[in-house]
Amino acid sequence: MRFFRSRLSPPILLLMPAFVIIALVVALPLLFSLYTSFTGYRLVQPASLWQWVGWRNYQRLLTDVDFWWAFGRTLVFLTIALNLELVLGLGIALLIDKLTAGQRIIRTIMMFPMMFSPILVGFQFKYIFNDNVGLVNNAIQSLGWSDVTIPWLVNPVTANLAILMAEVWMSTPIFAILLLAGLMAMPRDPIEAAKVDGCNPWQVFRHITLPYLMPFVYIAMAIRSLDVARAYDMVKIMTNGGPAGRTELLWTLIARTGYQDARMGMANAMSYASILLSVYFTVYFFRKLAAARRTMGGVA
Amino acid sequence: MTIFRGIRAALFSCAALGALAGVAHAADQQTDWGQFPGVTLKVKLIGGTQYEKLYTRLPEWEKATGAKVEIVSSKNHFELDREIKQDIASGTITWCVGSNHTSFAPQYGDLYIDLKDHVPQATLDQFVQGTLASSMVDGRLVQLPRVTDVSNLYYLKDLYENADNKAKYKEKFGTELAPPATYDELKQQIIFFASPPNLYGTAFAGKDEGMTGRFMEIVRANGGDMFDENWKPIFNSQAGIDALQWFIDIYNAKAVPAGTVNYTWDDIGQAFAAGTLAVDLDWPGFAAFYNDPAKSKVAGKVGFAVAPVGTSGKRGGWSGSHSFSVTEACDNKEAAVSLVTFLTDYDSAMMEARAGNLPARTQAFTDVVEEFKKSDTPYMAEMFTVWEKSLDEARTPPLVAQWIEVSNVIWPELQSAIVGQKTAKEALDTAAAKATQIMEDAGVLQ
Repeated sequence: MRFFRSRLSPPILLLMPAFVIIALVVALPLLFSLYTSFTGYRLVQPASLWQWVGWRNYQRLLTDVDFWWAFGRTLVFLTIALNLELVLGLGIALLIDKLTAGQRIIRTIMMFPMMFSPILVGFQFKYIFNDNVGLVNNAIQSLGWSDVTIPWLVNPVTANLAILMAEVWMSTPIFAILLLAGLMAMPRDPIEAAKVDGCNPWQVFRHITLPYLMPFVYIAMAIRSLDVARAYDMVKIMTNGGPAGRTELLWTLIARTGYQDARMGMANAMSYASILLSVYFTVYFFRKLAAARRTMGGVA
Repeated sequence: MTIFRGIRAALFSCAALGALAGVAHAADQQTDWGQFPGVTLKVKLIGGTQYEKLYTRLPEWEKATGAKVEIVSSKNHFELDREIKQDIASGTITWCVGSNHTSFAPQYGDLYIDLKDHVPQATLDQFVQGTLASSMVDGRLVQLPRVTDVSNLYYLKDLYENADNKAKYKEKFGTELAPPATYDELKQQIIFFASPPNLYGTAFAGKDEGMTGRFMEIVRANGGDMFDENWKPIFNSQAGIDALQWFIDIYNAKAVPAGTVNYTWDDIGQAFAAGTLAVDLDWPGFAAFYNDPAKSKVAGKVGFAVAPVGTSGKRGGWSGSHSFSVTEACDNKEAAVSLVTFLTDYDSAMMEARAGNLPARTQAFTDVVEEFKKSDTPYMAEMFTVWEKSLDEARTPPLVAQWIEVSNVIWPELQSAIVGQKTAKEALDTAAAKATQIMEDAGVLQ
């Protein structure tokens, strides 16, 4: 008791349980996985946990062309998906905000895609884009637009677009709901004032609505950039990174290495190399968020 | 209870086989499953409609033994495999019985007991011996097989019986149109029948172990293999190049759906059932589905043929078995062994066979054919007869712990060659180099 009284202030004491819990559930597993990335740890051989291999896993990664392709593809996928979801989500939020009747029903319907598990979304879009019995090709052929079967999930461009489309379909509502919350919390006075001063709708949106929404945008971006790896299940079902690695993303590669191949040491090395991506996106969006809050004078 | 089971088994066998055979057979049945009152066995079982029907027999075993079965996990095999690996890693093997598969079993080391030491030889003798041999890893019987799988040909009979097709085929190739006996003939017919987008010659599993397995099948049929006796990868041999070229040729001829490189079993099954494939090299479990008019457009039109042979005159016969294993960590191995024996006994095998799966018990193979013939379903009887012919040459993938890992470096390279990014030789050399590294890292290949 004397120890606590003499050395630790009440705030530190009160925060201690939180620090201990975070250390146990976040810091320790992170340190452990960092350690395993320097070992030849294989899930099915517990003794390999002590097989120290130094930088070998990282050295192999540096020269692993497949890994860097997956890294680059994930970066491009994240950038396009997040921006597309933002634009579409913003558009949907603005439209719903204008509704005077039935807004609750529309909001509920809009959230339907979020309720599907990514695995189901994967199966759904795999069927839609199946080249033989799929919906899209059948529609194209039935409408007489073309007799040619388009291999949507084989061509490098269309396969990645199909995955992108599934991801956008599944996750745009998250942006829409967060931005709608921002719009609904927005004070109406500045907009009214701008209209009285003669601003047209675009000017109102560009100079009042959008700056006000930016903190919400960055929060949504930060959340989604961390959460986007949920798309793993979807990609796994649709293509599993194939064909010939054309749709391989870091998540499919790491999961295959870690769980199917049981090479957890290597998978963790891949994860630490790719964690740079997550750190970059998070830092970037939080800096933008802080800047947006400063611009708004601390609003939001 | 014992008497009741005996009488019931006898009655059932009479119905299936005729009185004499039935009575004789009932005498062979194990009916004493032991007494384990108060014991609760935790089990991890494969889930899914086709596998879970067997679990309706669990209450029967519980009643006979006084034990309880607690299913702590029921997932598809890939998820179950992942969970078991996590259990091994965390040292939390708190369960006794697990579903297993010949492709997965070598990875698990000494997780499971050697059932040879626990199951009477007389019982083991009742299994299909080839299937039982495939269930061994390093000389240890780590699993008791429940069903086995090997692929043979399904084909659309009306295409083969069509007079116009027959005449054109004869004119073009100088031989009669009949189900193919060799892979060369199969390729020829796949390309001959293809008329996309309404009809393709066939489709193949183009990713995951399905792709590697189909490739391995043709490599072996061509006289090659995946590894030499020292576990050096040798699938980039001429036999391997020819096997991969087979896939490339039918892909380039547009005789298979372009998306086949992303297909797995369900996609192929749906395509054949939709009538868009002329032939399909596939598993026995699809037979009933293809002949169900409610689900399949080709019901009543499906014929069977034994899988073709390769340039060596042999069949590749890629096979695998679903099975049950007992963990070393189990605190009541006797009860666990009783349960896995019960789940693979004659009655269980018949239950699996009636659902269209290849049973692992020799007697069930014979009996189910008779049963299908008597119940006026010659279609299924014919399927079992054809499939039984291919069992002799059936072989599992290499029973080595690194197989799945090696498979995972092979199939993306096969895809690269099939979609034209690499030549067959380049792709296989790259895959072989990666596979060699895996085997060296594991210390299997020095």
